[in-house]
Amino acid sequence: MTMTTAHAHTLDIINLNIALPRGQRLLRNVSLQLEPGEVRALVGESGAGKSMIGKAVLGILPHRIKRTEGEILLEGAHLNAMTPATRRSTVAKMSALIPQDPLTALNPVRKIGPQITDPLTRIHGWSHQRALARARELLDRVHIRAPDRVMHSYPHELSGGMRQRILIAAAFAPSPRLIVADEPTTALDVTVQKQILRLIRELQRETGTAVLFVTHDMGVVAKISQKVTVLFAGRVIEDAATRTVFENPAHPYTQALIAATPTPNVSAEPFQPVPAALITELHRETLAADALYAQRGRR
Amino acid sequence: MLLKTVFVRLLTTAITLFGVAIVVFVLVRVAPGNPIAMMLPPGATEKDIAALNAVYGFDKSLAEQFIIWLGGVLHGDFGTSITLRQPVAELVLGRLPATLELSSIALLLAVALGGCVAVIGARKRGTGTEVGLDLTSGAVLSVPDFLWGLIFVLVFGVLWPVLSISGRVDPRIDIDFTTNFYIFEGLLRGRLDVVGSTLSHMLMPAMSLALPLAAMIAQLLKQNLKEALTQDYTTLARVRGFSETAVILREALRNAALPTLALVGVQFTFLIGGTVIVERLFAFEGLGNMAIDAVINRDLPLIQGIVLLFAALFTVINLLVDLSYTFLNPRLRHG
Repeated sequence: MTMTTAHAHTLDIINLNIALPRGQRLLRNVSLQLEPGEVRALVGESGAGKSMIGKAVLGILPHRIKRTEGEILLEGAHLNAMTPATRRSTVAKMSALIPQDPLTALNPVRKIGPQITDPLTRIHGWSHQRALARARELLDRVHIRAPDRVMHSYPHELSGGMRQRILIAAAFAPSPRLIVADEPTTALDVTVQKQILRLIRELQRETGTAVLFVTHDMGVVAKISQKVTVLFAGRVIEDAATRTVFENPAHPYTQALIAATPTPNVSAEPFQPVPAALITELHRETLAADALYAQRGRR
Repeated sequence: MLLKTVFVRLLTTAITLFGVAIVVFVLVRVAPGNPIAMMLPPGATEKDIAALNAVYGFDKSLAEQFIIWLGGVLHGDFGTSITLRQPVAELVLGRLPATLELSSIALLLAVALGGCVAVIGARKRGTGTEVGLDLTSGAVLSVPDFLWGLIFVLVFGVLWPVLSISGRVDPRIDIDFTTNFYIFEGLLRGRLDVVGSTLSHMLMPAMSLALPLAAMIAQLLKQNLKEALTQDYTTLARVRGFSETAVILREALRNAALPTLALVGVQFTFLIGGTVIVERLFAFEGLGNMAIDAVINRDLPLIQGIVLLFAALFTVINLLVDLSYTFLNPRLRHG
């Protein structure tokens, strides 16, 4: 089942294409790697397909959207070669998700405690005591003051920031090799965003978990990641070290994205929107690539 | 909070029942048909009728009659049945257990059947199985309870006579119970022969009552399950490795049950209403069957007693539904 090589990437996506039933592509020949302990940011505007990559890895693509081509390897194991049940348990054991909206990601009618410990006991096969101790430890780590009281609470009794910290604790609890963070700060207000970001970065460093961090915020990219993948219309526009991307962006679109990021520095130039001509050019390229892809498919 | 809710509900229940009492009292008296005329032989004179009217107090004005009756009711005296010549309270409470057991079993069957179909439908969503289940429940829903009763009598009583089609229990069984709850008391006393016989007699009427409700639960609960299965917390459960069935049962079901419960409460009162005809069909000795006899015989005190009891039952059920709603939904618990 697994084809582990001497040095396996934590995540290896090779030429991934996913499409709607009628063939319209949402991801176009996407390839990217994630080394152990690395944080890679996926940036792009809404609809660029950045969330789709995470969903494809975790196996939660909306059911009409299908992978048409390409491979996904988790710790060297080919996910697409597995039966659905094996894929599900493999992904669950190796990876976790920090969702976008903490207000809807916790089950409203279940207490917090079981929502953290259930996967540990039922999927990872831990004892109840061990799971409970781990939940307490992690809740304490994410600065939840009274872990036992919180575990007996229902989601509606807690604030959005607290719920996101709980979801972070739950994601790190089984010590996954990979965490997909799907815009985990977007639904929170600005003051809470900073804390959450710091918390994810700290926990990531302590545990050495690789993180695929989906965001549209270049400011967040600079703070958290070592590598960046810039996407436009489901295509990888640029893939480089974060420092390189900020100091010397190769693609004009990346340059424009950085220029479009507001800074707290008032003396700096007012931020610039991405130029219309550039967007037009990118669309032209995308259509050309699709035409080529369709032609190749017909042959 | 909860106590206050219950208190307010009990108060409104009392007002509701008073209204029901007035309506039913007036209605049975202005409706055509006279119990006195039915008691006397043909050829009775006006004088005979007037005399017997006076015996039962029907010569007094409507308001006077009502006040006398209400005074009795407040003391627990619901009058005496004209045809059966026994206290109405005794008659009605003697029959209540049979109807309660029948409708409870019917409700259990409906929830179990409808729940299973809904879960399977949600599990197989988007496939031919779901379409098949939808069509079946649609068809089941469009056949009313008494028609199901007739179909069952025809199939399991006549063509393939495996079930008894009349009565509540095998008359050969000697039952010396203190209450008329045959199933409940039978279980407590370990009289499984009584329980078994009662259940086998109850199966067809209970199924007749349960099927339309089961179909309704199947459709609504499946819809609510499918809705819950698009929520983020179910997606997260899938990522955490739970199978689709586990996600449905552990994450979605309780959320989907909430909106379904409101409907089940309302529909359960309709189901109890349905016992009137279905009990008649299977000669089941419950309240509904007695109600039909009372109406045919223009037994005014008995009709009043039965209607009042049904009304009380409906309000109690609605109260229980509201309370269970609070219990199931943690967001309502702390108010």
